[in-house]
Amino acid sequence: MPVYRCVIPEGSLTYDQRAEIATAFTDVHCGLSAAPRNFVQVVFLEATAGFELPDTHGSGTIKADTPYFVAGGNRGGRPPELKAKILAGLLKRFSAIAGVPTNQVSGRISEAPASWTMEAGKVLPEPGEEPAEWYEHAAVSG
Amino acid sequence: MVKFDCIVQEGCVDETLRPKLATALENVCLDVLGATAGPAEFSWVVVKKGFGFRGGEPSNTSLVRGRIPDGCDRDTRERLLKSMADEWCRLTGATAHDLVISARDESWAG
Repeated sequence: MPVYRCVIPEGSLTYDQRAEIATAFTDVHCGLSAAPRNFVQVVFLEATAGFELPDTHGSGTIKADTPYFVAGGNRGGRPPELKAKILAGLLKRFSAIAGVPTNQVSGRISEAPASWTMEAGKVLPEPGEEPAEWYEHAAVSG
Repeated sequence: MVKFDCIVQEGCVDETLRPKLATALENVCLDVLGATAGPAEFSWVVVKKGFGFRGGEPSNTSLVRGRIPDGCDRDTRERLLKSMADEWCRLTGATAHDLVISARDESWAG
């Protein structure tokens, strides 16, 4: 966590754009939340006919209101205004890098208790309680 | 019923492993949560190469998001996550660093 699933039209973004968006998302999320960079997962899913996006932090499916949609899943416990700032920052950068109008990009961030997730063999700590060694490693490729 | 949404990076988890993974994770749920957990249901999404990133770099990480019956205490949930992670890594050859796994309450609305 966090996991940001970006729903995009098929063939709409180049690899360079996707990579730049992924870096930008990492910068935004970590810049505002102080989470370790290698926590940030970004995946791009191309929407084809019949595509449905499961709500992996809630139930049912998420309805994407715009052609480009960011479905985020974060650890709970941060102030609502911080979550809003993170989302606004992500959408702004996405729009700029993808070269699409801001009204074509929307998103939401769902949350769940940190203790419900395990990463690298360890239950996630609450936001702000990450042990120092989690920051000592460079971004992990895979 | 327990439900798992599995997002895997292309080339990292062979499609032929899916039945074994499903059986193994279901068995862990039954063992840890009991028969009330019921059958497990799985969905799979493959992220094409060049479409998955971690820390801004290309990713090999699998993301397994589970929904389990409400009422699981912290220690039991941790045991569940650890056992599922161990089985996943055993069967796929992945390391713990290549897996993010979660189990949320069925009633949780996000």
